[in-house]
Amino acid sequence: MAQHDAARSFACGAAALLAATGLAFSGAALAQGGPIKIGLLAPVTGPLATPGKDMVEGWKLYWEKVGYTAGGRKVEVVVADTTCNPDQALTQARRLVHQEKVHFMVGPLCGHEGPAVAQVSKETGVPLVMDPAGADTVTKWERTPTVVRTAVSASQIGHPWGEYMYKELGLRNVTFIGQDYTWGHEVTLGAVRTFTALGGKVAKIIWNPIGTKDYGPTIAAIPADTDGVSAVVVGADRVRLFEAWFNFGMDKKKKIYGGYWLHQDVLPQMDERAVGLIGNSLNYAAGIQTPENVEFTTAFAKAYKRLPSWFGESAYAVGLWTKTAIDSIGGKVEDRDAFLKAMRSVSIKAPRGPLKLDAYDNPIQNVYISRIQKVKHPVLGEVMTNVPIKTFEGVSQFWNIPPEEFLKKGPYKR
Amino acid sequence: MDHARIVFGLVALAAALALPYYAGPFWTGLATQMLIFGLLALSVDLLLGHAGLFSLTHASFFAVSAYTVAILQVRYGVSTALAAPAGICAGTLLALVFGLAVRTRGVYFILITIAFGFVVWGVAHRWSSFTGGDNGVTNVPFPALGGLAVTSHTQYYYLVLAAVVACGLGYRVLIRSPFGLGLRGIKASESRMRSLGFRTGLHLYAAFVLSGALASFAGVLYVYYNKFVNPVAASFPISVEAALMAIIGGTGTIIGPFIGSGIVLGLRNWVSSFFELHLAVMGAVFIAAVLWAPDGLVGLAGRLRARMERAKEAGRP
Repeated sequence: MAQHDAARSFACGAAALLAATGLAFSGAALAQGGPIKIGLLAPVTGPLATPGKDMVEGWKLYWEKVGYTAGGRKVEVVVADTTCNPDQALTQARRLVHQEKVHFMVGPLCGHEGPAVAQVSKETGVPLVMDPAGADTVTKWERTPTVVRTAVSASQIGHPWGEYMYKELGLRNVTFIGQDYTWGHEVTLGAVRTFTALGGKVAKIIWNPIGTKDYGPTIAAIPADTDGVSAVVVGADRVRLFEAWFNFGMDKKKKIYGGYWLHQDVLPQMDERAVGLIGNSLNYAAGIQTPENVEFTTAFAKAYKRLPSWFGESAYAVGLWTKTAIDSIGGKVEDRDAFLKAMRSVSIKAPRGPLKLDAYDNPIQNVYISRIQKVKHPVLGEVMTNVPIKTFEGVSQFWNIPPEEFLKKGPYKR
Repeated sequence: MDHARIVFGLVALAAALALPYYAGPFWTGLATQMLIFGLLALSVDLLLGHAGLFSLTHASFFAVSAYTVAILQVRYGVSTALAAPAGICAGTLLALVFGLAVRTRGVYFILITIAFGFVVWGVAHRWSSFTGGDNGVTNVPFPALGGLAVTSHTQYYYLVLAAVVACGLGYRVLIRSPFGLGLRGIKASESRMRSLGFRTGLHLYAAFVLSGALASFAGVLYVYYNKFVNPVAASFPISVEAALMAIIGGTGTIIGPFIGSGIVLGLRNWVSSFFELHLAVMGAVFIAAVLWAPDGLVGLAGRLRARMERAKEAGRP
């Protein structure tokens, strides 16, 4: 649709001239047979530079493994720094499309950059493989025909978490600590939905803005009769909550469980106290013992001397996914529709398990509940990691709710 | 002297007009962004450079008008002819309220404007049922007035360029008017202006509102360029950057804020494409500007020219 409108408008005067200049510049680059150019949008600097690093390195690890080739053509990667700022992400996406002439884009990482980059994909028709930005709405209420998501939809990991707390942990009256922004709302409220649907009671939901310096008030606000605490926290807040929990002696009074908390990238900052905690309900845990994941984590550890977080795995998997799609169409990425169709139809075996897109362009995938354990790693020696203790297989972004019904209810809002 | 300035202006205008033909769509888009943020910096500079008030809340007017336009256009299908003026009105109304900050001076003024800025950011961020929270409002169309519609980024660039030139000319008239001279008088010595019979508080309040209106206009241009708006537009760093742009380029001038905006956005968007430590480069530029060009690049150019003229005069027999 958008493309047709754009095409029509191109007919008008000034735009035609522009197209002519554009052609003169890009004629050579567009000829088939040249390298496939992929633009990676990642926050190389800024507040989320650590996950951004994992993302770039996971992505590079995959392409180095396959020698930067796909569909019989060379692959070139252009990394653009979004700094976790939507304005910057938008400008960088336009640079990738207009200046670098990429065939498709991968990224961005920060949730609020997602809609910005999708906008560029929409106005130019250049496909966007969204990974790992997780705003629910991208694959639910505000879908873009040229955008597919290969990572995760925020509430997709929240739904199994609510059920796990009720059924396996036997909790009935839970206090939810949630990070106060879209991703935090969607993960937390996804868990609240499934937990309460089973009959669980919400003792309290405590929202904290990103960058909350003091978790004392949060801990003081936990009701006395609650039988468990669920934590959905991001960034440096993860460490602050961890420290506050133990400093206030809460470990002796209450149980805390991480719905989205102790990822691999934060574990090096933790000590023995973390061992044994349930850290995450997530589509990846570095301790998965499949051959694919062992191969991946070993290669990652050898290259970067650490274990990957889910951002690293997601970027690696999107490498595999795009390569599989490019191979299946014989390298003809210039045919955007064919490429998108291939992305939508291939299924892959990623380190985190089998992956395939649903009818709404979001992957159906396993969700792992994981516990922090110390393991002997062949490359790194003794290291703390997330070991899966329960696997929900083939989880849809709609959980077990019919998509139409889910969509009718609207997004999770606090 | 004036002659040279006119020639320079015409050359710059010609270069700007021809830009889409030699620079391609990316640079055209970036130039659009530079002009829009330059306009925001110019609005900050009306207070900073002419009245001596350091405001850190201009992202508020910018964002409120952008949100107004986006919500009206996307959610209620209101046309540009109504949405754009509504955006400017909404931002200006907010400036009428926030303008009360001019009752304070110096560091108190800075603090209260920071607080105002955070209130607006907080509302944009937290009132997610109305503002869309972090996801913001997306899918804003290009502006269209009746049968006249912008259909490409190149056309939009020309629209922004025309708007900015018009604003620049209007701004020039404003700062040369008795009102603008009054502002400069207040900056130099408020007590003296008061003893001359000026109602300085009212004078500053009017400047604040005018400046807010200009920032709102920049917000309207921004939302049609970006096609979406989210709480980042209202955030503290945007206000700070706008002030920094004015300072780097040269406060109290018209071209300065645009030069500053060009430098800041250029560094971030272009240098980052080949140099990972681009933030360090930006930091070095800021430090260099403070050390060697406290009056901004325009001030630096003026100093160099004065030195050259002195040298010429000294060389004369």
